[in-house]
Amino acid sequence: MRKEDTVKLISAEGFEFVISKEAAMVSQTIRNMLTSPGSFAEAQHGEVTFPEISTTILEKICQYFHWSLQYASGKETEFPIEPELTLELMMAANYLHT
Amino acid sequence: MTMNERKMIDLEQGWEFMQKGITKLKNILEGLPEPQFSSEDYMMLYTTIYNMCTQKPPHDYSQQLYDKYREAFEDYITSMVLPSLREKHDEFMLRELVKRWTNHKVMVRWLSRFFHYLDRYFIARRSLSPLNEVGLTCFRNLVYLELNGKVRDAVISLIDQEREGEQIDRALLKNILDIFVEIGMGQMDYYENDFEDAMLKDTAAYYSRKASNWILEDSCPDYMLKAEECLKREKERVSHYLHSSSEPKLLEKVQNELLSVYGNQLLEKEHSGCHALLRDDKVNDLSRMFRLFSKIPRGLEPVSSIFKQHVTGEGTALVKQAEDAASNKKAEKKDVVGLQEQVFVRKVIELHDKYLAYVSDCFQNHTLFHKALKEAFEIFCNKGVSGSSSAELLATFCDNILKKGGSEKLSDEAIEETLEKVVKVLAYISDKDLFAEFYRKKLARRLLFDKSANDDHERSILTKLKQQCGGQFTSKMEGMVSLFISSYGS
Repeated sequence: MRKEDTVKLISAEGFEFVISKEAAMVSQTIRNMLTSPGSFAEAQHGEVTFPEISTTILEKICQYFHWSLQYASGKETEFPIEPELTLELMMAANYLHT
Repeated sequence: MTMNERKMIDLEQGWEFMQKGITKLKNILEGLPEPQFSSEDYMMLYTTIYNMCTQKPPHDYSQQLYDKYREAFEDYITSMVLPSLREKHDEFMLRELVKRWTNHKVMVRWLSRFFHYLDRYFIARRSLSPLNEVGLTCFRNLVYLELNGKVRDAVISLIDQEREGEQIDRALLKNILDIFVEIGMGQMDYYENDFEDAMLKDTAAYYSRKASNWILEDSCPDYMLKAEECLKREKERVSHYLHSSSEPKLLEKVQNELLSVYGNQLLEKEHSGCHALLRDDKVNDLSRMFRLFSKIPRGLEPVSSIFKQHVTGEGTALVKQAEDAASNKKAEKKDVVGLQEQVFVRKVIELHDKYLAYVSDCFQNHTLFHKALKEAFEIFCNKGVSGSSSAELLATFCDNILKKGGSEKLSDEAIEETLEKVVKVLAYISDKDLFAEFYRKKLARRLLFDKSANDDHERSILTKLKQQCGGQFTSKMEGMVSLFISSYGS
């Protein structure tokens, strides 16, 4: 995948997840940030830090993005969520407007 | 679990942080040297708002943040935007306004992204206006309301300058008028009430002044040329910077001032008005006249009425000519007298051709003009010449064409054409039965004395007469022709 098509999402602990822009933009918040008019230096580099989201959650979220894209194109599968993660996942989802 | 461990953010603290971001944004907009926002900055600002809205009450600061959002705009506008606009005038003020409006839109976009969390739940819960509407409303209430009068006057003054031939900055006007449209947020009310009405009034006054001069100084064709040019320019003006909805209203005003108000004066100008144009066969000017007057309500009626008068006049003159010629030839020789009348009929046909062409070329086949032509011909075609009715003259004319050794020596094609035209003129004659009588008598003579020049022509004219006047009209004649020609041929 070309560099321009990806973004890097960084968790609170500093883990970096590189995913495609298309996947990331499932989140309205991320989409807004990437499409803000003009003056974004980092839009080219595509790095976003989430100091409030832990690594486990962020990983699950990235999986969700990809699952969501798959679901949109018609392949129906279930998205597995471990119950311990549910609360945090929902809060993160709210934050990210997903 | 990082989300639960976060610290409570106090309103003062949180707002101080946001204020830094807002100031940074303002600096960027003012053009000051300021590094761009990084994605970290963005996320921090967004997160701060998010946190302050999702804290447990009484630390849920959504309402306060909503108010402070509006205040941020109001502060900026009152402290920086309005002063810079107030100190400028005319075109400079317009440019500054465009710049400030563009900046404002950018500011709204950024701040509403930072504060976006409010849009998601808070405003729906309390049925409040969404953030971008709040932003635009601030501009409208503080800047637009104060300045729109000045802006409008400046724009109208520039438009009048352009009308006088000066070059103006059209892109600037387009941007300004876009503001009037955008500030309505979907409604055209502001554009129409605060700009368009005044612009239309000014346009009407402008053209009223011009027209009152031109009508005195210019001939009718010159005036019409100017009018046509003005309408063209105003239409271009709409496409360059006015809103498209203004086009019909604008053109209607111009047409009213230039054509409706002075219409009659224009048409009746002594040496160059409609009568004169018809007399001098100025087809281009007449076409232009039609184009212009067809746009105004009831505009064509006076024109068609003058046309009718003119054609009637011409026709009546022909009748008089023929009468005079006939009365001069006091000789009893029927042939010689007949010749004048043949000339008369031929001239009537030519007149018909000429003005039928006018109706189709200059007047685009408009029904009013067909009607005028018809009525005019009906008037003078029913006047006889020296005792002979027009019905008789027409029948004699046909006889001359159809008999051997007739005074008309024409090719077959020309004969066909002429017969066709005669039948057309017949339509205007009121006593067609009289024509039928004369025609039948002459037809009988031709057939009996074998003076018919061409059987095909005989049949052809009967077909045409049948088409025009119906089967009853021609049945006897057809009978006669079949009797003689078939029997003679065999």
